[in-house]
Amino acid sequence: MEYIYSVLILIGINIIMASSFNLIIGYGGLISIAHPIFFALAGYCSAILSMHYGVPIPMAIVAGALFSTALSVMLSLPSLRVSGDYLLIASIGFQLGFVEVIKNVEMAGAASGLTGIPALFSGPLRSPAFLATIYVLAVLVVWLVHRITHGDYGRAIQAMRDDEECFASLGRNAMAIKIVIFAVGSGLAGLAGALYAHYSEFLSPEQFGILQSGLILTMVVVGGMGTTAGPVVGALLLTALPQAITFLNLPAAVMAPLQGMIYTGLVLVFLFVRPSGLVARK
Amino acid sequence: MSAIRVVGVRKHFGGISVAEDISLEIAAGEILGLIGPNGAGKTTLFNLISGIHAPDAGEIYLRDRPLSRLPVYKRARLGIARTWQHVRLFPTLSVLDNVLMGPRAYPGEGSPARASAILERIGLAGAQDKLPGALPFGQQKLVGLARTLMNDGEVLLLDEPMAGVEGQVYETIKQVVRDEAAAGRAVCVVEHNVSFIRDLCTRAVFMFNGRIEQSGTVEELLASEKLAELYFGGKK
Repeated sequence: MEYIYSVLILIGINIIMASSFNLIIGYGGLISIAHPIFFALAGYCSAILSMHYGVPIPMAIVAGALFSTALSVMLSLPSLRVSGDYLLIASIGFQLGFVEVIKNVEMAGAASGLTGIPALFSGPLRSPAFLATIYVLAVLVVWLVHRITHGDYGRAIQAMRDDEECFASLGRNAMAIKIVIFAVGSGLAGLAGALYAHYSEFLSPEQFGILQSGLILTMVVVGGMGTTAGPVVGALLLTALPQAITFLNLPAAVMAPLQGMIYTGLVLVFLFVRPSGLVARK
Repeated sequence: MSAIRVVGVRKHFGGISVAEDISLEIAAGEILGLIGPNGAGKTTLFNLISGIHAPDAGEIYLRDRPLSRLPVYKRARLGIARTWQHVRLFPTLSVLDNVLMGPRAYPGEGSPARASAILERIGLAGAQDKLPGALPFGQQKLVGLARTLMNDGEVLLLDEPMAGVEGQVYETIKQVVRDEAAAGRAVCVVEHNVSFIRDLCTRAVFMFNGRIEQSGTVEELLASEKLAELYFGGKK
């Protein structure tokens, strides 16, 4: 039963990750791969605040999410002034750089990882309580992303993505919208990261590499970019699928490459056969 | 008093001069025609006024307010509205949503009603839920014009509004331009269609190689041998 809980909780966390990434890349058209590092930075921030500074865990989680939000603004201010590829390049540097920083910070457990992170819930109802919390927050995140991307603000986001120069010539401040989208998306990734830290009770820099970026991107592409339900479907499918493969009892030397091939294969198949993803945009 | 004033504006891209000491004024209620061959610098001048390009020298004033340091979106909010030669509608937004992107203060109180009224005025009330790609090119031009009208500003820059349009759409655009000028807007039209310029413009400016070669009434310009030689490739 504990295994089922852990898979369901992981799905919930990935729904938050994929939905928030969809806000940035799917709706905003901002190509960044740094999403996992905002997840990681909030996780570490929340863990360190609760472990070393006695901050109550719920407050530490909020502080972690705000920390990621603030760092995302720092990244976006210089890189969003120029469009497209520059953000991608800056985000790769940000991702790789901060993983290296974490590996060298003693307080964050350095390369061997941070252990002994206090759990948000304990006792016999630990997993159900986590599950309920994660899914309430996941529903709220999906709702929030939907709210932001529909109505007047959503129309502006869509127009900005379609043609930024024309958008500006109508009196709209593209830079402000891009920063808001990036900050909200990264802050929500931070929320997922902080929750994960206080669930898994362990964080390691190896968990937040470029491969993790690829996984989140796959969830969004396979599910359907720029749709509300797409990332939910993508997160469900791409979290459950690798778990299902483990039941094949294949050797570890085969399992890892097989999972990688499935992710890569899915992205390629969907890009060629159904680029709109499982849930197509209306 | 001029609504918009361009004073000694220069712009170079590398070693290529695209605007050389450009000066002109447009009064409120006036329709100024901007003519010249492709590459003369007409669209570049629109880009300089609307803020897409920053001038290397000179200044642009809206009333008495200098604009050169303002970004594109702030100039639009002050009332400089423009269309594009290639229309540039937002392809994933419906016709109505495209027009709703136009007000200076977004989303703007009463915008949906205004947008519907403008679409009705240009004869596109039935198309408001369609995507722009589903419309013929002429109607797309009308949507671009409708979106610009939502700005309700003092200056209207129209980049080749008649290119690729004919019939009813042609007449509608002509009437809209006339009405907007009558409402007190300063209108500047880049256009190759000489009969359109002759019918609507009180004054015209002839540009060539980034310079203003000649300006005056439309009749004066059309009688000019220099214009005939540089623009039409032969003597009158």
